[in-house]
Amino acid sequence: MQVNKPEDFTKNVSKALAQPDLKKIIRRTTDKAETKRTEAVANFPEFENARSQGQKVKDHTIKYMDHYLAEFEKNALAQGTIVHWASTGEEASKIVLDICRQHKAKKVTRSKSMLGEEIGLTHAFDNSEMERIETDLAEHIIQLAGDPPSHIVWPAMHRSREDVVKLFREFHEDPTYSEEITDLVRSARRDLRNKFLTSDIGISGSNFLLADSGSSCTVTNEGNAELTITPPKVHIVTAGIEKLVPSMAHAVPLLRLLTRSATGAEITQYITFHNGSKRPNDADGPQECHIVLVDNGRTKMLAEGMEEMLRCIRCGACMNHCVVYKHIGGHAYGSVYPGPMGSVLTPHLDSLEVANKQTHACTMNGRCEEVCPVNIPLPKLLRSLRAQSWQKKYEPLTNRFVVQSFAELAKRPRLFQLLSSCGVIFMKVFSRKGWIKYMPFTSGWTRNRDLIEPGSTTFMHQYKKMKKAKSGGA
Amino acid sequence: MNKQKSELSRTKIFSAIKNAKPTVTMDVKTIQQEAFELLKESEFARPKLLSEDATQALVLRIEAGLVIGTSCEKISTLDDLPNSVNQFFDKHSLPQEIKVQGIDKLEKLDWEGISTDSDIENDNTVGLCWAEYGVAETGSFVVHSSPKMPILLNFLPLYLIAVIPKSKILHYMDDYALIANEIAKKGETPRNMCLISGVSGTTDIEGVLVQGAHGPEVLHIIIVEDQ
Repeated sequence: MQVNKPEDFTKNVSKALAQPDLKKIIRRTTDKAETKRTEAVANFPEFENARSQGQKVKDHTIKYMDHYLAEFEKNALAQGTIVHWASTGEEASKIVLDICRQHKAKKVTRSKSMLGEEIGLTHAFDNSEMERIETDLAEHIIQLAGDPPSHIVWPAMHRSREDVVKLFREFHEDPTYSEEITDLVRSARRDLRNKFLTSDIGISGSNFLLADSGSSCTVTNEGNAELTITPPKVHIVTAGIEKLVPSMAHAVPLLRLLTRSATGAEITQYITFHNGSKRPNDADGPQECHIVLVDNGRTKMLAEGMEEMLRCIRCGACMNHCVVYKHIGGHAYGSVYPGPMGSVLTPHLDSLEVANKQTHACTMNGRCEEVCPVNIPLPKLLRSLRAQSWQKKYEPLTNRFVVQSFAELAKRPRLFQLLSSCGVIFMKVFSRKGWIKYMPFTSGWTRNRDLIEPGSTTFMHQYKKMKKAKSGGA
Repeated sequence: MNKQKSELSRTKIFSAIKNAKPTVTMDVKTIQQEAFELLKESEFARPKLLSEDATQALVLRIEAGLVIGTSCEKISTLDDLPNSVNQFFDKHSLPQEIKVQGIDKLEKLDWEGISTDSDIENDNTVGLCWAEYGVAETGSFVVHSSPKMPILLNFLPLYLIAVIPKSKILHYMDDYALIANEIAKKGETPRNMCLISGVSGTTDIEGVLVQGAHGPEVLHIIIVEDQ
């Protein structure tokens, strides 16, 4: 699959809208997630309190980020973990590859981590002499298909069962010839099991970093993180610096929020705290543990007043509830992070110049903020990015001309009303049975849907008439 | 070279944070106090349990089908465990072979008729582990890595039996976090602390739940009342 770029957003959207089944496939998963989340919240009357606590925990850690980073580093070193720092994704990726090369690794297993995608780790491995094995089932599917992820929780949601059947038959050593989903999962289990046990290096992300112990925490339903990390001799964690929380007790409220918001389950099946390398005589576990702490635009967000976005715990609820995401899917965003959270993050990870169109792909209906488990004001942040985009003159000239013309016109009410009246007459010329299928200057709208015929007169005209009638009546 | 680069990045990250937040206090006691205050909110921000009794709450949660792929039973003493394991074999039509965690408590039981050993291998069918704790809130059992606890025991077999001593069943995850903190103070933090709440599952193909994605497909929890 050809990888979309964020700067081609408009083109990507047209491509997505032209795929007849895409919307159906996306909604199959997101609608289910939406329903299950609603049920989970209804069954947890204390949810709002948990949400407020979760927000405060994140805000507290972000406020004292340097204190907690230093504390995390000190405690991780005390546990024998080797701590690395990376300002950029490229640096982080290089650190990981260098560690693998020092250990002469041939096979590397990886459990799902959006940060890994963000720093370009998958491509870095694919361009190296090492074999990368994705162990999360969805990541396994998209690795075989050569796709980027389309959702942060269900990265392969754009792939149907029929696609998976074809991929597994082509790539698995002992594939199933059944098309039952259970048999397909068994096929992946067989294929990956030996790879888990013979891997040289296990790479994971981290859902939380605990400052008071220097631990990292992984959260999965499949148990693939533990199987990725335990057998190899080396474990490498890649984590964004915003993953910090003061302690395990502070991670607990966030764990309560994370799964309920992501999948509607009350908790994931596996929550594991990883505390460095194996202890003397431990029955299993890696002999060496590295952690790569990554900035890649996070401190820039802090400096630019976007720290609320650093609360994000990557649950995906905002995209499951986003009307835009549900229409166009994840690939159209051309970025690792799609949906509302992605539209805020991508301009910082990439640049606003290339990702400014994503900030406009929002109806401002506020659903993302309503369901965010840590109260991130996504519409406010998107509006602020739109303002920056305007100030930096990233908008197309036609948009700038139209908006500036409107601003001038709005200062002259009589002229505005006159032109509005002319507009109504103009639109009626193109109207058929109450709908406009085509009209000059509106092809962006009428390409995909009809425009409703305006009322017989302008709003102002009707308003004045009504006011007059009322005062006359009184 | 990499170390120097890493150090440079470290300096850059810390100075970027400082520049972004120049007025923030770094008084450690103030920060610790603020962090402590946040935890007081947990009492009002956690779900009600199905029973005030932690053991009962855990059992009810499993019996209500809220813990994926999991069943449970209570036994009076540890001596009853081999009999329960035999019944589990019968229920699932399994051969009488089991990988038992290599601790005295389990190894010294009378396993007559059941083949037991503690060497974990790829294709083992049934595993038996001793949980350090249970958590009623999430229907979890907790294992700690150690010389006698291979983490893979909990992930490689298709069927897993976890034994939880009744006295170690906690109400909430917060209670476990306090215990983990005490363990850390003694400098005895294990490499891994795993909270396991159900079986390995996935909904990655068309949203359909399948159990046994990579790890166990069936989990049976046995609570020992006199432990």
